[in-house]
This record gives sequence, C-alpha cells and structure tokens, in this order.
Amino acid sequence: MKMKKLMAIMLSLSMVVTVAACGGGEQPAPTDGTADVSAPEEAPTEEPAAEEADTAGDTAADESAAADPNSTPREETLYFAGQQWGTINDWNPMSSNSNNGMAMTQAGSARELVWETLFMYNMLDGKLYGLLGTEYAWNDDQTELTVKLNPDAKWNDGTQVTAADVAYTFDTHVKYESPTGADFSAYIDSVEAVDDTTVVFHAKVDGSGVAVNPLKVLDYIPKVYVMQKAYLETVEARNNNDANAIKQDKMEDMVSSGPYKPFYADDQKVVIQRDDNYWGQAASMWGKLPAPKYLAHMVFSGNDTGLVALKNGEVDVAQMFVANVQDLWEKDGLPISTYIDEAPYGICAAIPTIWFNTKRDGLDQKEIRKAIAMAVDYKQINEAAMTGQSPTFEEVPRSIMNTTGAEQKLIDQAALKDYQFGNDVEAAKKILDDAGVVDSDGDGIREYPAGNNLSFKAECPEGWSDWNATLEIIAAAGKDIGINIETYFPDASTWTEDQTTANFDILMATPNGTASISCPWQRAYEFMSSDNNDAEVKTFGNFGRWQNDRVDELLKLIPLEQDEAKLKEYYTELSQIYLDEVPSFAAMYRPAAFHIVNESVWTNYPQQDDGTNVPPYDCTDGYGVAALYNLTLVEE
Amino acid sequence: MKNTIKQLRHSSQFMVGFVILVAILLLIIIYPIFVTADPLEMVGRGTFFKPGTYVSVVDAVTDGASTQKSYTLNLDTSASRLNARLSMEDREAMVDWLVRFGGVAEGGISTSDDDVPALLELWSEKYDSTNPQKGLIAAKKKYYVRLDKSLKELNNSTDMILAAQGEDGLEQTGTIADDSYVNVKDIANQRTFILGTDNFGRDVLTELVAATKTSIIIGLIAGVVATAIGLFLGLFAGFIGGVVDDFIMFVTNLFTVIPSFVILILISYSVGASARGVTMVAVIIGLTSWPWTTRSVRSQVISLRNRDHVNMSKLSGHSVIRIILVDILPYVASYVVMAFILQISSGILAEAQLSMLGLGPATTTTATLGLMMNWAMTYTAHLNGSWWAYFPVILTIALISFSLNLMNTGLDQVFNPTLRD
Repeated sequence: MKMKKLMAIMLSLSMVVTVAACGGGEQPAPTDGTADVSAPEEAPTEEPAAEEADTAGDTAADESAAADPNSTPREETLYFAGQQWGTINDWNPMSSNSNNGMAMTQAGSARELVWETLFMYNMLDGKLYGLLGTEYAWNDDQTELTVKLNPDAKWNDGTQVTAADVAYTFDTHVKYESPTGADFSAYIDSVEAVDDTTVVFHAKVDGSGVAVNPLKVLDYIPKVYVMQKAYLETVEARNNNDANAIKQDKMEDMVSSGPYKPFYADDQKVVIQRDDNYWGQAASMWGKLPAPKYLAHMVFSGNDTGLVALKNGEVDVAQMFVANVQDLWEKDGLPISTYIDEAPYGICAAIPTIWFNTKRDGLDQKEIRKAIAMAVDYKQINEAAMTGQSPTFEEVPRSIMNTTGAEQKLIDQAALKDYQFGNDVEAAKKILDDAGVVDSDGDGIREYPAGNNLSFKAECPEGWSDWNATLEIIAAAGKDIGINIETYFPDASTWTEDQTTANFDILMATPNGTASISCPWQRAYEFMSSDNNDAEVKTFGNFGRWQNDRVDELLKLIPLEQDEAKLKEYYTELSQIYLDEVPSFAAMYRPAAFHIVNESVWTNYPQQDDGTNVPPYDCTDGYGVAALYNLTLVEE
Repeated sequence: MKNTIKQLRHSSQFMVGFVILVAILLLIIIYPIFVTADPLEMVGRGTFFKPGTYVSVVDAVTDGASTQKSYTLNLDTSASRLNARLSMEDREAMVDWLVRFGGVAEGGISTSDDDVPALLELWSEKYDSTNPQKGLIAAKKKYYVRLDKSLKELNNSTDMILAAQGEDGLEQTGTIADDSYVNVKDIANQRTFILGTDNFGRDVLTELVAATKTSIIIGLIAGVVATAIGLFLGLFAGFIGGVVDDFIMFVTNLFTVIPSFVILILISYSVGASARGVTMVAVIIGLTSWPWTTRSVRSQVISLRNRDHVNMSKLSGHSVIRIILVDILPYVASYVVMAFILQISSGILAEAQLSMLGLGPATTTTATLGLMMNWAMTYTAHLNGSWWAYFPVILTIALISFSLNLMNTGLDQVFNPTLRD
C-alpha cells in the first residue's frame, strides 16, 4: 500500500520531469535571427553554421575550457558570443559556404580581424576610414575610382601589400566565379595597378559611356578582403586551377594582413591569436597593437547558454538578442552594459521586413497587402517581441530608411505624412470593404477572388524567438480583419530556399544593406527592384517579385546622382510608392548587431557620446574594430 | 456497481485523485463564467508583467488631486521611500564613490541609518556625473547616474504640480501633496493579473484555465481513440487467435519497438501546421499510443477465452461479436477503464511535449499547456526569473497526471482483490 502510493507519486513526478527535460534538450535553433540580420549576404555562410550548432548539442562550453590545454589566460583573452555556431570549416574569402563567422564576414561592415579590406565603414557617420587604403577619389564622371594604398601595409610574411595584390584579388574572384566575383563583375570592369601604392577601379559603363552603378564600385572597397597575389598563385597551383577546388580550399596556411591569425579551433571553441608583428602598429595606422592577445569564441548550443555565460562573465562581448536586456544591470546588478544606456540600447540600422508574395491570389492586390500591414499591432511587436529595444514607428515614421540621421536626412518626412500608415484595424477593414473584398459566406474569412477564402502562411525560421513572436502578432492581426494567417516556422535552410524561390505567401526577412556605404540605395533596391524577377532563384531582395516601372527608373538614377537635393527627391518618391503599394512592410527597427558587453575583465568599450566615434559593431566589424585598440583591463 | 462505488469512496487514493481532478474541472468550468476575457488577448504591452494589481496612473493622479477622493495619512512618506529604495548596497556604493572621487576621507561617512541624511547631503553636493571617474567601468558609471536620478526623486517632498497643455504653454491644473493617498478601490481602471502576463502580454491565469481545458479535451480524445483501437485489436487478437493474432501482434510489436514519440513527431510534422487543430493533434496522439493497451487486453482475453461460460456461448452458436461483447468485454472492462485513465494522462503529457517542439496546435488559435511552456522557454522565462509564466503550467500538468494516476491506483485496488490491504 505504502509502496503503491510512493510509486504513484514517483510516476507522476517522473512524467512531469520528462516533459521538462524534453524541453531542455530541444532548444530552439540558436541564431534567433540575430546572426543574419546584419547582412543577408552572410546568410548562406551562417545558416549552415546554425544547423551545425544543433549537432554540437549540449556540449558544455565551460567544462571544456577547464580541461583544455589550449586555454588562454583570461586577462589576455576577449571572449565573444553570438557570431560562431559550429566548427570552422575554412578561412577562405572566396568560399561560398564558409561558416567562419568569428574571423570572416565580407559585408558592408566587414570583419577586420584576420583578413583586411581597403577601407572600414563607420555606420555612425556613414564614412569610410582607411585601412589598407589611405584615400580614394572618383574622376568627374564616376567611371574611375582611384585608391591609394598605405605604404606601411604588410602581409604577415613581411612583404608589402601592393596594388598588384588588390588587382589580382579581383581578377581571381571573377575568374573563379566566387560569390563576390559574381556580384561585382556586373559593375566593375577591371582593377588596374598603376604603381605599387595606386590602384584604379574601372567601372562598367553602358552604351553611352555612363557608369552602370558607381555605388556598387564604391561598395567593393570596404567589403572585399585583399588577398596576396603570391599566395593566391600557390593556392591556384595546388588546386590545378580548378575553380571548385580553389573555392573549397581551407586556406589554413593563409598569408593575410590582419592583426590576428588562427590559433585553435574545434567544435567547442575558436581562438585567434594576435600577430605581434602586425603592420597596423605603424604610426600611419593605429599606432599600437589591439589590446587582447587572444580573441575566443565559445560555440554555444543556443542564445540561452550564451546568456548564462555572459551573466557569469565568461563572455565579454555578446552579439545576441536578450529579452529585457536592461534587467541584467537594473535587476541583477551585473557589470553589463549596451552602447546606449536606454531603449533601444543600440543603433537600429536594420529593418526586419514582412514580404508579400505578389504573385499569389489576393496578395497581388495592394488593398489586401495594405490592410494586413495596417492591422498589425506594431507597438505590441516593439514591446513584446523586441522588449522595447527598437524605436517605435511614431518616433521614426515609416519610409525606406533606417533610423540613423544619415539616412533620415535623405527623405522629406512631411511629404510622406499622407502615406505613412500605423495600426488601425477599422481603417484596414474599410479598405477591404471598399475594395469589395468581403466575407460573403459568413465563415468569418473574407474571400478573394470570389469563393476563395483568403488564407496565408507566414514564414520565418524556427527558434528565432523575436521573429516567431512577431509573426504570431501578425497572425493575430489577420484574425482581426478576417484574413486567415497561419505561422510556419521551418528550419533556416528551408526558409532561405523558400525566400529565394518565391515559395511563400508571407515571409519575414531583413533586406541586406545595413551599415554599408551603398545604403540606402542598396536597401531600396532590395525592397523594390524587379531585376531577376523572372529568374528561378532570386538572392537579393524583392522576394515577393513585385514590379513597378517608375521604381526601376529611380533605382537606376540614384547611383549616378551626386546632388543631395535631387537624391532627397528621388528617395522621397521611392518611399511614397513603397508605402502606397506595400510590396512589403517593416515590422520593426533592429540593431544591425547587438552589442552587449560585460565589464568583468575588459573595459573601455565604445559608448554613445564617449567621443571616440567607434560604432557598436561588436569590436570586430567595419570601423567597430577600432574598439579593440581602446580596450583596457578593469582595475581592481 | 453500488458496492464498487462504495469501495471507491473508501479508497483514500482514489478520493484524493478524484477531488484534485474535480477541483481542476470546476475551475475550468466556473472561471470562464466570471472572467469572460479572451484568453489569447494580448492585454499587456510588453513581456512578463509580474503578478499583481495594475491601477491606472492617470486615475490615481487625478483622484489624488481631487479633494473628494484623496485621503491624507500622517505617515512619513519620504522615509519609507528611502528605506524601500536605498538599499545597503547602494549606500556602500555611494560611500565608495565619495571616497574615491568626491574627496571625502575614508571613514568620514558611514552607511548606518543615522548617517543617511548626511550621506544624501554629501552626495548631492559632491556627485558629478561629468567627473571622469578614472578606473570606473562604464556599467558602474551608468549605475551612479541612475542612482543619482532616483535619489533626486526621493528627496523631493514638495507638492507635485499637475499641468496640462494649454493655449500658451503649460497651465497648472492641480497639486498633489506628498502625504496624499488614494484608496485603490476608488480607482476606476484597474486590472488584476493573479499570475502576471506572458511574453505576448496575455493574462497567464486566464490562458492557463483555457489551456487546461484544451489539454483535458486533447487527453480525452486521445484516450478514447487509443483505448478504442487498443481494445478492439486486443479483443480480436486474443479471442480469435491464430493468424489474426499473429498478424495483429506483429503490427503491435512493430509499434512497440519504434518509440511512439518519434512516430508522433513525424506524423505531426507531415500533417502540416494548418491542419493541426486541437482534434487533429489529439487523434494523432491517440493513433500512436494504443499498442500497450492491445497487448494487455489480448493477454487478459486469452486467459478468459477458455472459461466455461465462453465455451457455453460457443456451443450455443453465438456469433463471435456477441461472445466478445457479452462474455468477454465485461470481464476486461475494469481494466479498460484504468487503461483509459492512464491514456488520458499520457495524452496530456504528449500534447505538452509536442507543443514544446512547436508541433502542436497554432499559438493564435488555441492555448494549450505545451504552447505556454514553449513560449516561456523561447523567451527564457526560466533565466529571467519570470516563474509565473511556466511554473503554474508545470504544476497544472503535474496535478492532472498525479490525480489521474492516483485514481488509477485506487481503482486498481478495488478491482483487483489481491491488492487490497
């Protein structure tokens, strides 16, 4: 009798524990959207990584650190979280499937740790700062971009970085059709080494001798890593000039110019070590070495394990979304801070967007698209999904621009007033009623075309918590106006495929063009350009394959225009069309990269108004890498 | 029958389980009568509001300003505010700052309650946020800025002035004295969240009640489906025997060997999100959890098959169906009832597991216990101390399966004489 009772209790308890344990083991996919938002171009490289993180499973990162012979002294090591999600597969900038998030990201703000670009982009002032290059200049008709190289710049084998290296890098990208080569060969005709320190980029010109797109030429210099000619030739030789083999070369023996070089990597952590002969300690560049001797990144199974490590001071810099981040210092009293002390805590340069597939029945009608967009409770998204870490649409009204002053000054907000919509369910219903989209069979769902219930799937990857919550809020909005919207959270690679092949109804994705010199044109292009609309796979933007002639015309004019007043006119008109036709709509503003720092060991991270003008870009990306040179150890 | 019920009433285990279950059932029936709000309504703007009563700030301020609705209490408001907000840690931090950057001698000021006014005075005199504060980490500097701001609010015991936007700027509309109070009952706009809100700002208690109801429905449907299939196959396999038995047992063994939860996941996934309503999920669970019922019913039937009364029926020429229904089923009925109860319990758990994997019903259409846990976990409620978002859910699941299992054990003792004490 007693035993039975005991057994009954044990049984119930064990069942409950099973449920709880099941939850523990099945952490949602780790990226939480943060890894990708900074630049969808990275998406192909970081997504496989996200999958691998699942297989990496529950390997407790800190356990390994204790027993690891390759562990590095804490006070010489800066620990990261949120950039690397699996074992590093290569160090090759030409690779199309690299997951080396710790060391390599060729984006508008490139990661300047191992490889280096000619210039560094600073999203705070929208300017380019010299790295391997010192200055750049256009000729009058913007067909030739001349770049001067820093004569002090050296490879880590001691030889000088020359114009020939720059030219050969471009030629190699084009020759072997790397992703970079494919992207830029449409805009850059050739790269010419004039002398050792002078290089000229010749823009592709159309029939009338006008450059196709000078902005994309300029986009190259802060984005693409410079590689050594001699080393590239070695790589070509050992792979018998075979394009696929070269693109898959691991390049573990690379000759690079950056301040760090590979030190140790396995499935639990990645460490890169400072090169004490780094050329940048020359007075013409930084004048010193970066403070941390080692940069280490634990491979966490997900954001929650990363968060625990951040709280414990085992992580110094975290690039991840933390719900209610202010609780870390206000409630828990931890020495953790963000770039800005108050909401939104970061520079919100990215715009996660809801895309409509304009080829689907119903979504081809702008009234229906607009009604859905108007029914969404944006405040709820801001507060519940982003926990207030985003300016509201009242603070920064809708347009195609992000929240930075540099972009906002390129539009005329007053001219957009009539087009900007907010959350207004009644107005949304009225738009539908006026357009004749009504519920005629009384089942609560409107029909269009007649007899066909409006029912859509809204898609984003599984486990990206704030995005999942956002789509749930949008599904609730659909319910309010009589349109059935269901959420669908597949794995990240399915989502990428659906996105590029237009196999979706409603999809959430961030347009590329965050913190890059080609912005805001790049973002406008991705929102609306009809280029490649008929292609089976469309990688860059306008996933819903919407088309508008005037928009295409404006998108061609903007890169050639240098008069700011004229640009403002163009961008304002683009915004008007975008807000009127709603081919897609912004769900929120979001930081390009989250930048949460724990000052247990290191301090002097960039802060707003600290006078350093270093952007909160994780101490690694674009001009954000300057933060590494300012860090100091905490004085006890 | 009467006797059985009487025995059950004397079984303490059954009664405890029964009472818990009835209490839960009553809660899910009665609560919605009084609270008619939509359980999925996103009331709170923001995540995880803690349990408590929320009163409208505007109402409290306007009531406080009106002479009819405000009360004056002779209490030292600023002192209790100080005690509540200025913790010992804060005082130590203030002393630390004053010694390091304020030029105050070490030991010149203490953190004791008596010294608080002096400390505050010294602080307001010396603290300067523009001081370079060399050697202090940014997080700490920001902490002092916040502390200073809250101290300034604390010190302020003068009347608060209310103003409204008039034609020429702000116009004073009233004042609120420091010792003025309002009665919470007078405030028109208030809402109590007994269990706080979840990550979508939904009232957890209302949602929990709706979710419990859904989960019990899922458990019942899954239990009915699983028991029906198990019973049907078990009866036929056991009674007919031979090739039929071999075949049914072959299929049953197949299902027993493959973990049913894996099949459950695969079926749920392939059905697709749009088709996964409450009923569908319940049926899927039922379809994957029948094998053990089949096996036990079969073995019981085999032992019954050669009893005299069954042979009599056979000799009398009754049909197989009739023999099974009249001569066998009643003898396994007590066992089937217990199996049914366990099936309900495991159905509820299976739904919770499925929903936690995101393979349950859709979030916007229904509330289920598993979905609530799924979102609590996605929003790391367990890391940020929002216990109300997941603990009541776990407790509910535990109570339901606990009560069902207790009832099962009680029944077992009544039906099985060898187990009686």
